[in-house]
Amino acid sequence: MVGVVNGIDSVLLFTLVVTPFFGAAALAFFPADSHKLIHWYSRLIAASGLAIAAYLFITFDTGGDLSKYTVDFDWLPSLGIRFTLGLSGITVPLVLLNAIIFFGGVLISWNVDHRPKDFFIWLMLLVAGVYGVFASRDLFFLFFFYELAVVPMYLLVGVWGSSTDFGTFLRTKEYGAMKVMLVLVAGSVLVWIAILAMWMEAREITGIADFSIAGLSQVEFSDGFQKLYYPFLMVGFGILAGLWPFHTWSPDGHVAAPTAVSMLHAGVLMKLGAFGILAVGMVILPVGSRFWAPTLIGLGTVNVLYGAISAMGQKDLKYVIGYSSVSHMGYVLMGLGTLDILAVDGAVLQMFSHGIMTALFFAMVGVIYQRTHSRDITILEGLGKRMGITGVFLAVAGLTSLGLPGFSSFVAELLIFIGTYRTYPILGVLAVIGAAITAVYILRMLGKVFFGPIDEERWKDLTDANRMETGVAVLLTGFLLLWGLYPFRIVEIIDSGVVPIMERFGS
Amino acid sequence: MMEYAWLIPVMPAIAFFFLATAGRRLPNWSAIAATGTMAAGFIIFWFVLADWLSMESLPEIKAFGFSIDWMKAGGSTFTWGMVIDPISLVMLGLITAAALGIQVYTWSYMAHEPRFTWFFAVHSLFAAAMLTLVMADNLLLLYIAWELVGICSYLLIGFFYERRSAAEAAKKAFITTRIGDVGLLIGILLLFAKTGTFELSAIFALVENGGLSDTVITAAAVLFFLGAIGKSAQFPLHVWLPDAMEGPTPVSALVHSATMVVAGVYLVARMFPFYEHSETAALMVTLIGAFTAIGAAAIALVVTDIKRILAYSTLTDLGFMMFALGAGSVTAGMFHLLVHGFSKAILFLGAGSISHGSGQTDIRQMGGLYRKMPITAVIFGIGAFSLGGIPPFGGFFSKDEVITAVFDGRGLFFMSIALLIGFMKALYMGRVFFAVFLGKLKPENEHAHESPVVMLAPMLVFAFLALTIGFMALNYTDAYQGFGYFVFAGEHQEAFHLNKGIAIGSIALAVSGFILTWLAYVQGSLKTEPIIRRFSGVHRVLINKYYVDEVYQWVIDKVVLVLGRFIAFFDRVFINDIGVNGTGAIATTTGRIMRYVQSGKLYTYAMGMVVGFLGLALAWWVS
Repeated sequence: MVGVVNGIDSVLLFTLVVTPFFGAAALAFFPADSHKLIHWYSRLIAASGLAIAAYLFITFDTGGDLSKYTVDFDWLPSLGIRFTLGLSGITVPLVLLNAIIFFGGVLISWNVDHRPKDFFIWLMLLVAGVYGVFASRDLFFLFFFYELAVVPMYLLVGVWGSSTDFGTFLRTKEYGAMKVMLVLVAGSVLVWIAILAMWMEAREITGIADFSIAGLSQVEFSDGFQKLYYPFLMVGFGILAGLWPFHTWSPDGHVAAPTAVSMLHAGVLMKLGAFGILAVGMVILPVGSRFWAPTLIGLGTVNVLYGAISAMGQKDLKYVIGYSSVSHMGYVLMGLGTLDILAVDGAVLQMFSHGIMTALFFAMVGVIYQRTHSRDITILEGLGKRMGITGVFLAVAGLTSLGLPGFSSFVAELLIFIGTYRTYPILGVLAVIGAAITAVYILRMLGKVFFGPIDEERWKDLTDANRMETGVAVLLTGFLLLWGLYPFRIVEIIDSGVVPIMERFGS
Repeated sequence: MMEYAWLIPVMPAIAFFFLATAGRRLPNWSAIAATGTMAAGFIIFWFVLADWLSMESLPEIKAFGFSIDWMKAGGSTFTWGMVIDPISLVMLGLITAAALGIQVYTWSYMAHEPRFTWFFAVHSLFAAAMLTLVMADNLLLLYIAWELVGICSYLLIGFFYERRSAAEAAKKAFITTRIGDVGLLIGILLLFAKTGTFELSAIFALVENGGLSDTVITAAAVLFFLGAIGKSAQFPLHVWLPDAMEGPTPVSALVHSATMVVAGVYLVARMFPFYEHSETAALMVTLIGAFTAIGAAAIALVVTDIKRILAYSTLTDLGFMMFALGAGSVTAGMFHLLVHGFSKAILFLGAGSISHGSGQTDIRQMGGLYRKMPITAVIFGIGAFSLGGIPPFGGFFSKDEVITAVFDGRGLFFMSIALLIGFMKALYMGRVFFAVFLGKLKPENEHAHESPVVMLAPMLVFAFLALTIGFMALNYTDAYQGFGYFVFAGEHQEAFHLNKGIAIGSIALAVSGFILTWLAYVQGSLKTEPIIRRFSGVHRVLINKYYVDEVYQWVIDKVVLVLGRFIAFFDRVFINDIGVNGTGAIATTTGRIMRYVQSGKLYTYAMGMVVGFLGLALAWWVS
């Protein structure tokens, strides 16, 4: 059998993955100076992706047969490499997340006028890579897409980014770009070692060369092998998820990146790491992941508290949010580390929710930065009077961040708290305390930047978010509210994907 | 009508969404949407109450509930449900009535405010959250509503956000209560871990039939009380409430009477089976309640800002309610909550009317204002006499019931503390009333004027309630045999029972409190200055609120923020500069050194080959 395509749903999935890829290729032939055309074309590509992702999400049948999404081609049979795409309850929300943030990111980039063609080409490649990672059912291609998502970051940050200079504290965008690139490649080396080791070990045991996740998860790896190689996956993917102490690339990278890239970076790219731990590590190496779970949850707790406390000490708006991402990704890692079904559900929902929320954060900070040319909390004050809309949406993101009920992060964190508390009570208590610290730095930031008296003279020409930016914020807020108020549907979908994985742990 | 009770919180919630999204374009709709939904809720409440009273099978505890599936995960179903029982009915009546009256008052009070619509939007959400809180049949929904109440108070206290002090007060209120919420949430998680459910009725059943160990019950009760300490501003998390004055006056009225601060008292009443089964937790509630009440009453005797006096009096009354609950009487606690709600609402609205009419907030600048604002004076007087505990005003009945309950539950020593608190209540209420309205009118207040009818009308209604509500305690018909027959927990209580000795003692103390303050502030034969001079140290401590704020500020500045900066610094210098950049530096340095190996110079390579050959030869020879 050379290839299988199972009907319309699988064609749509395939289209979703390759559209930004070919979209980028086609964009290369556009005239470089027709900015308007380039922007509208990119919006079209992003919108088509959003439409497909939304369709897949809405029609997803939680009890149904997932093989209707399968796209499967031989690629290099002698090594067991296949090009396989598929969907599960875990990936559907994440694919939708990527589509939403890509669309929002393209819209918020209306003001990119420095080489927009190249900007959007790299942005599309990044997005194609992310779609590919979520949809791949074959480790070779999963790794390929993983690298495809990482490489464009270097150029996007290095060329279109911005530097931070507080006098005593200087971070150039080139530094940020280099750091993101090197650290992430270091992580992917670890992942690649583990993938090759699993492939070879599986061939030893079964005699079949196979890169597919489904195939490898059937192999009876010895306990020693699992315990040895799971940490490679955990740390390798964990680096991308901001695992402490390998997290510093993330705030530096967020800060240096242009708005749309910050949104994708914190919103989606970091989720690839957590997704890898769950969908590769825990699925293929259950014994190893059980053995190392206490370490993961322990480091996750450090992430939560350390990130939150660090965020209190920051002066740059983007650094506050960068460290807040480190803290929030800690909840995801904690949830995965509990191996408790509610907490793992919560972790996946947190990936989605944090993605949307942090994208909203960066979009609004981008709006502020573009108008004030400052992100310094000690300088900005009382902007709410002139930038009411921006303030409202930054507050929405902030309140989501501190776990206010009504927004989806509350649901996610609640599930994580429940699961953590009933497996590791002390860490559960620490996680709740982390959420309280979040309130401190978020309200401090909001209170300083938007409340208080405004410097009328200095900010007399300050304008609020325009229609395009407001639209992005409304879109993102809508999703936060939708699943915060009524999470039934998304949790049902996630649960259907998590249950089969948890069955491998006997719970 | 009972099956439509869910509309009571849902309607104002819809009003919020409507106003928050479309309100800007339809400014004239804001007051109508907010007040209309609240009025509708108030009307539904009466139908629900009538349904309730007409139901058969008194005096069994009845409950009427309904729920929807909110989320299913990992085999557990999470529901959102509502329940109606006597406690929630009392709260529903209080909240809808207070919110409705305060909104009507706000029409005029805030008429010239540019963010009029936003005010009504958040006000609606505030009421909706509080109504949901009191109707929630499970801990999950209760917590959700609890947090929403918190955020609404943040938004309303910080309503004048251009003022730095308002922004700070809002932040302080949210973060302080959030510290208590950590306890509440952990308590909820603990119960879920032990019982696998959030349903209150299921959890109470387990408590009653011994399905939960005593340790768990005590731990949960103490953790829940932490939440209550935050919301109801008990020591040591009381610091936010006096600062919450920064919000507009209608907000203060709502926060202090029917929403927010009573949430903690309600929580303890709702979770009462836990406190019944845990003497430790009940004693903790008693002690903290009494401690807060006395400490705050002492401050209320010395501060001079009218709204601050009222704020500290709220702390006292909340402590007083907790005192009753800790002594084992839900009836007394809830009754005082109800009476206090209406009485405190008129005091705050009255204070708003005073500053609206005279521009003054410091009682030392007032005096004789009854001549200019007679209606406000009468209304304010009813509130003051009620909370001061003078019969036949409502506050007398509820205070007396609390003292009796304390005597029954905790004995003579605690009863004397309760009497002392009652005396202090009379003193500060007498002080504020006499100092503001009687005595000589100051020349700078000649321009003071009475407030418009829209502001006075709701105050009159509340005043009528504060005047009459005490009689709810009494036994009238078989269907309604008094408040104690209506709201109870565990052992069914008889209708209001009067302990003559206690009643006479407390009346005597209350009256003497008012006489003393009359002598001091009106008649003038009792001088306050010598007393202040005699106890200047105590006075200074009280004026500075025992320096609690200073201590907290020190901890925040010198511990919390320093820790934040230290970790941020550690992250930059150790993890990043040494760890990450260090790794990079090692790689570059190694490369720079290794560069010399590949020099491209033939004689170096030849040298290497010779050395290598000799080394191998040596190794071969040795082995």
